[in-house]
Amino acid sequence: MIHDFLVVWSERGLLLSGLANTTILSVLSAIMALALGIILVPGLMSKRKAIAAAMRFFVDGMRCVPFLLFAYIVYYGLPSLGLRFDNWSSGLLALTIYNAAYMAEILRGAWVAQPREPIEAGSAFGFSDFLLFRRIILPPLLLNVSPIIGNQMIQIIKDSAFLTIIALPELTHAASSIQSRHYVPFAAFISAVLLYWGLCLLVEAGVSVVGRVAEARR
Amino acid sequence: MSLNDVLAILQGALATVTLSAIGILIGLPIGLGLALIRWARVPVLSGIVAVYVSVLRATPLVTLLLLLFFALPNIGIPLGPISAAILALTMNTSAFNCEVWRSSLVNFPKDQYEAAQSFGMQAGQRFRRIILPQIIHDSLPGLVNEMSLLIKVTPVLAVVGVVDITRAAVRIGAQTYEPLPPFLVAVAIYAPIVYALVALQRFIEKRRAAAEAST
Amino acid sequence: MNDPQKILYIAGLSKSFGKLQVLSDISFSVERGETICLLGPSGSGKSTLLRCINWLERPNAGRIYLNGSEIGVTGHGLVMKDSELSKLRTRMGMVFQHFALWPHLTVLQNVMEAPVQVQKRAKAEVEAEALALLAKVGLSDKRDVFPARLSGGQKQRVGIARALAMKPDVLLFDEPTSALDPELVGEVLLVMRALASEGMTMVIVTHEMAFARDVASRILFLDQGRLIESGTPADFFTRPQTERARLFIQRYAGVAAA
Repeated sequence: MIHDFLVVWSERGLLLSGLANTTILSVLSAIMALALGIILVPGLMSKRKAIAAAMRFFVDGMRCVPFLLFAYIVYYGLPSLGLRFDNWSSGLLALTIYNAAYMAEILRGAWVAQPREPIEAGSAFGFSDFLLFRRIILPPLLLNVSPIIGNQMIQIIKDSAFLTIIALPELTHAASSIQSRHYVPFAAFISAVLLYWGLCLLVEAGVSVVGRVAEARR
Repeated sequence: MSLNDVLAILQGALATVTLSAIGILIGLPIGLGLALIRWARVPVLSGIVAVYVSVLRATPLVTLLLLLFFALPNIGIPLGPISAAILALTMNTSAFNCEVWRSSLVNFPKDQYEAAQSFGMQAGQRFRRIILPQIIHDSLPGLVNEMSLLIKVTPVLAVVGVVDITRAAVRIGAQTYEPLPPFLVAVAIYAPIVYALVALQRFIEKRRAAAEAST
Repeated sequence: MNDPQKILYIAGLSKSFGKLQVLSDISFSVERGETICLLGPSGSGKSTLLRCINWLERPNAGRIYLNGSEIGVTGHGLVMKDSELSKLRTRMGMVFQHFALWPHLTVLQNVMEAPVQVQKRAKAEVEAEALALLAKVGLSDKRDVFPARLSGGQKQRVGIARALAMKPDVLLFDEPTSALDPELVGEVLLVMRALASEGMTMVIVTHEMAFARDVASRILFLDQGRLIESGTPADFFTRPQTERARLFIQRYAGVAAA
């Protein structure tokens, strides 16, 4: 067994590049998904029924589609639309669009739960709709949802493992390669599992830091 | 794509739903057991469960599945793809269920528990008669949410060769050189299943909110 | 209507929520330096009236003028654009019942937020004024604290400083002390008294009878959505014209004496 782990150690370059890919992929798509979510959420809350319904359809739709199938559809579907992306870009795109729906829903939930008065105070002090959203509604929203966004971040890290099926060289793919090259399945996958765990613990630590900042502003 | 192809995908869906259901049925009580160990602060075991839950929650199902499928036979435990799938689903969902159960246990009002004690109920009775009915009620939306999440990750069972929607879709795509339609059919089958669970969760929460508002 | 003495001019204001008529045909005006106290039993529409003045609630009928410019409706009779409404709202400071401080900003940032972001004034200048305002409400030492750490009375004093920072023509108070513990009411009323004696124009919805009697230059009495009495505190409290007002004063007399 120790021998197996030594084999994995000798392939650490591969494993670490997989970890790097998983991290970059997750962080990039989380940031872009959050940004997209921020753009989408005023639509979800829109008083215009058609806009709200269209957003609702997108958000609910995404939440009902398994990510793996969505990733396949983006991967195979984009070329038939005439768009040629490499594995990396289409994986990133799939992760981003898929999670944007979740981010929008998370933000909407917190928006609805926010007390109405500070928002009204914003209106009373002459904030226009856009300024009101940017300065008054959004900042506490982001602080309040940070634990849920942390959970979603962990979900994104895990979803990114699905992208191994489109041969994106992320962490699980790296572990698979090591296992098939040397036949050390236990050591290879356990190493991957521990690295995923470490990544998630980091996210949780980050959330608790943000949580402390948020606590003072509640 | 022929009617047969659609049927093949449907058959895959059936396999998926069955496997998920088995995973859920086994995972629910295991999750409750794990939660109780944590809640009662059983020495040593409680720490082990905490680590188990933390690791499992961080592990992608694909990675867990590959680990079980390749590594267990390697250390002398023969395991077919279906058993590997059920084991992976159960481990995954039990860790998440544990957290749902645990949060309702932690939030359980202490005075009720003490009232049961003062009426002379013993530990087993207290749990069965007073705690369990209430935490089931309390945990239900969270558990249904976990179920929908579990069903959403099952397409990945194709990786170890369980006959399943995705696998059928990939096979058909390879035969017809039109990869997209089988996946769209697969989505059309999966989405309503997940939607039904999401709708169920919303229904429960709404009814609860209405009941609370009326009191 | 262009009388420079008249800061607010309200004519025929009505508001209903669905079938419920909350305000019926309210008309009055407010002159520079006046302290108006809006009294009335709960549910009489006082808060709604205040919220209609700055169009937090959209009235169903009637006109509202601030310094001669109509609020909410353009010269062509159309509902104002957000940006036009915004400009007028900055001329009216509002103090809320539940403070409505912005939880993600410190005390000083709360006071500076609207002048800098909405009125686009220079940050350094606003900061100097904001610090002076905090000193005035006795909260200089709390400038870098977040609202969650303040007592109710302190929160409301920040709320007043925040409203003053926009240099409004009129301050609107929506039951500023009714969410406070009794022992914290005094410190807020003290600040409001000081503002009244400095000649700040104020419209105050309140249940503090003693305060209204001492500080108001005029009392407006609302009952079931109608403005049924208007007069000096001395007239209102000693010689009410209507039976409803007499009953109201009687019921609150104990409170006022306390």
